[in-house]
Amino acid sequence: MAQVPIQRHLLENGLRVVLSRDPRAPLVAVNLWYDVGSKHEKPGKTGFAHLFEHMMFQGSANVEKGQHFGLVQAAGGTLNASTWLDRTNYFETLPGHELELALWLEADRMASLLPAMTQEKLDNQRDVVKNERRWSVDNQPYGSWDEKMQALVYPEAHPYHHSTIGSMEDLSAASLADVGEFFATYYAPNNAVLTVAGDFETDEALAMIERHFGPIPANATLPPPPDMTVDPLIGRDVRETVPDQVPLPRIYLAHRVPVFGTDAFDALDVAADILGAGRASRLYASLVREQRLAQDASVFVFPIVGGASMLALWVTARPGVSTEALEAATLAELDRLASDGPTDADLERVNNLHAAHVAGALERISERADRLSMYTCLFDEPERINTESSRWAAVDADRVRAALRDSLRADNRVTLTYVPAEAAP
Amino acid sequence: MIAARPLAGAPRPYRFPDFSHQRLANGLGIWLVPLADRELVSIHLLTDAGAASEDEAHAGLAALTAQLLVTGTTRLDASAFAETTERLGIEVSSESSWDSARAGFTALGSKLDDGLALLAEMLRTPRLEAGEFDRLKAERLNDILQARADPGRLADESFLREVFAVDMPYGRLSAGTPETVEPLTVEDARAFHATHYAPNVADLVIAGAIAPDNALAAAERYLGDWGGMAPEHRTFEPQARGGRRIVVVDRPGSVQSELRVGHLGIDRHDPRYFPAIVMAALLGGTFGSRLNLRLREELGYTYGARCSFDPRRAVGPFTATAAVQTEVTVDAIRELLGQLERIREARPTEVELAEVRDFLVGVFPLRFETTGGIAGAIEPLAVYGLPHDWWQTYRRNLEAVSTEDVHRVARELVRPDEALVLLTGDTSRLRDELEKAELGPVEVVAAS
Repeated sequence: MAQVPIQRHLLENGLRVVLSRDPRAPLVAVNLWYDVGSKHEKPGKTGFAHLFEHMMFQGSANVEKGQHFGLVQAAGGTLNASTWLDRTNYFETLPGHELELALWLEADRMASLLPAMTQEKLDNQRDVVKNERRWSVDNQPYGSWDEKMQALVYPEAHPYHHSTIGSMEDLSAASLADVGEFFATYYAPNNAVLTVAGDFETDEALAMIERHFGPIPANATLPPPPDMTVDPLIGRDVRETVPDQVPLPRIYLAHRVPVFGTDAFDALDVAADILGAGRASRLYASLVREQRLAQDASVFVFPIVGGASMLALWVTARPGVSTEALEAATLAELDRLASDGPTDADLERVNNLHAAHVAGALERISERADRLSMYTCLFDEPERINTESSRWAAVDADRVRAALRDSLRADNRVTLTYVPAEAAP
Repeated sequence: MIAARPLAGAPRPYRFPDFSHQRLANGLGIWLVPLADRELVSIHLLTDAGAASEDEAHAGLAALTAQLLVTGTTRLDASAFAETTERLGIEVSSESSWDSARAGFTALGSKLDDGLALLAEMLRTPRLEAGEFDRLKAERLNDILQARADPGRLADESFLREVFAVDMPYGRLSAGTPETVEPLTVEDARAFHATHYAPNVADLVIAGAIAPDNALAAAERYLGDWGGMAPEHRTFEPQARGGRRIVVVDRPGSVQSELRVGHLGIDRHDPRYFPAIVMAALLGGTFGSRLNLRLREELGYTYGARCSFDPRRAVGPFTATAAVQTEVTVDAIRELLGQLERIREARPTEVELAEVRDFLVGVFPLRFETTGGIAGAIEPLAVYGLPHDWWQTYRRNLEAVSTEDVHRVARELVRPDEALVLLTGDTSRLRDELEKAELGPVEVVAAS
């Protein structure tokens, strides 16, 4: 596999900079990860990190509301941002000769968001975010699954216990004072990673970065990271049945597992693909194609780093199939992989699929930039982008078996069963 | 901080990659796009076997047949075919739209020969087994059930049914309806495959890490002796049901209404294509477009509002879309219709046009970052017979669009007076207000 080039720099104010030059296309990607996500939210403030992300597009000292999008798009660029449990990222991809525009826009809001904030803008984006929640959660079949899952996998005091989208009540309570405090606390250069990938001249890019980000003061009193300590196992068999407006029952299973970045996580990542990636995967082959119990099956691990991660899966029942039968058949496949381990063919299959997926993802400079920011923000090690495939290839049958035996236990499982509302007991 | 927007540097030129086009003796079109600096190769095999090639009594057959192809060959059963391809790192896809069926994959360049051999085997000697057919049919019927529980998908499907005249082919999803899918049999799929999958109506696109001579030799080796002659797709002229109507698909308990507002639009060969896409982008194609600015950034009614044309071989729909909270449904409809009126009333400003046009022109190279994106760009050339210099002249054609052109096509192509306003939502909370609003006759239909 081709290696992604990496150059690291550290500004005096603590901003970590990663450059990855690739002049094949006349495009450049700018990507910022702030080390703040929904896990940093205080009680009563759920959803705030994400609402704040929206406020970052409402203008700053030198940028009018709407101009951030307007300027980047008029330059022929695309842009967006997202908030998750551990972090918030902001990104632009645009023609290489407009690199400085993106750097200026990002620096202006990192330095001077607050002068542009108004109650009217906050009220507007609060309404937008509430509609985002209605659209993705409240008005969506099975839409509450990840919120419920997190609440059941993590204890109430744990920062992953609540969802990133947050509750309507907490969104209603968010104030301009909260915006000011959150900005002052977390939006500082020493709490961020800036990656630039694509077509640029290194010296020029570094000079631009220094010019725009260099003057922004560090936050000398960054708060310590939240306490993410949690027992490695849930400790009991947790079950909930959820009546919903769905035509077909669906079972979600989740387990508390070691965090992203550990050897065990890599083994579970491989296991998730053996179980769920492609038409030759264990769950598709067994539950969908052969036994015809399930309409679909999906398995995934969460690349999160705070105390414990999750291995989760869902299977949707075909009409007439009982959730008991589907659950039993699903668990039988998990048990079979945990006890017998994967075959050489399983490992060859998922390694080759994974290599093709990684190569496909890294064709896009935006994805390269995002992964470089991720590995730097979470592990201070951007070089991990180049060792992902070898870490996968190093996972052998014994490691898969051991990781599954440790984590896929009945006393470490949340079972969430969605059933059609009219059929609920 | 620095107060002014930094000046742009000197732009570097970008050209859509050079490609070649030729035909094998059996009529198969071969499009090769060598990209020296890539690791991956994308292969798309396009066949004139989309929903436009099935008859209405068998609606959904093209889609099911395309899906059935990946369930093995006469040599390899479903399990062995999946295992063999995936161990090469290849996930084969096979699906269809109205105008074509597409089978293909993206893989490391070293897998081109093995992958193409398997893809050709799949197209030429598929297994088409009754058991797998029945499974996929059941999954399709289940998926339709699932779609109708999802307010957005329910609105999409209902909009097509209501906007086209009764019994028009486009008045449904290309995947069919429960009524048409239920009676389909594996014999239908075998007959459809035998009739419509043939080299004279097919095109092979290979983009990425290839040496053109080797790729052509591989195509010749695996597909050169593919035989058969397929008929062309049927043709039809889509008709609208017409007239302003408010159709509510009842979904009790909905906290949002999914709005779909529109009417018929343009076909893929419409001479107004460029001004039409610029106009649609200005109205609802970018974050800063009029619909999104008004409904989201000013009013907070929605997470996003947009609109687009769906040009096909024949005239497809023009649709504006937003999911709005139930309480503001009527006002959101008024605002949305108001924006459709407004774009007809006056020319946009030069500044507004420039922002959109510069976006579409500037974002051009970004669409072709991946081998899959480039292979996909060849598709309209192959399927619709667009000129080979389509992408070379694309940006010039966009740049030629004036504010007058936008205004002219808006008056011709945006017709709020005859727009269908369809929504899925909680009728009990909406009906009275909708009737009072006098936006048009209100019909309530049950979610089937």
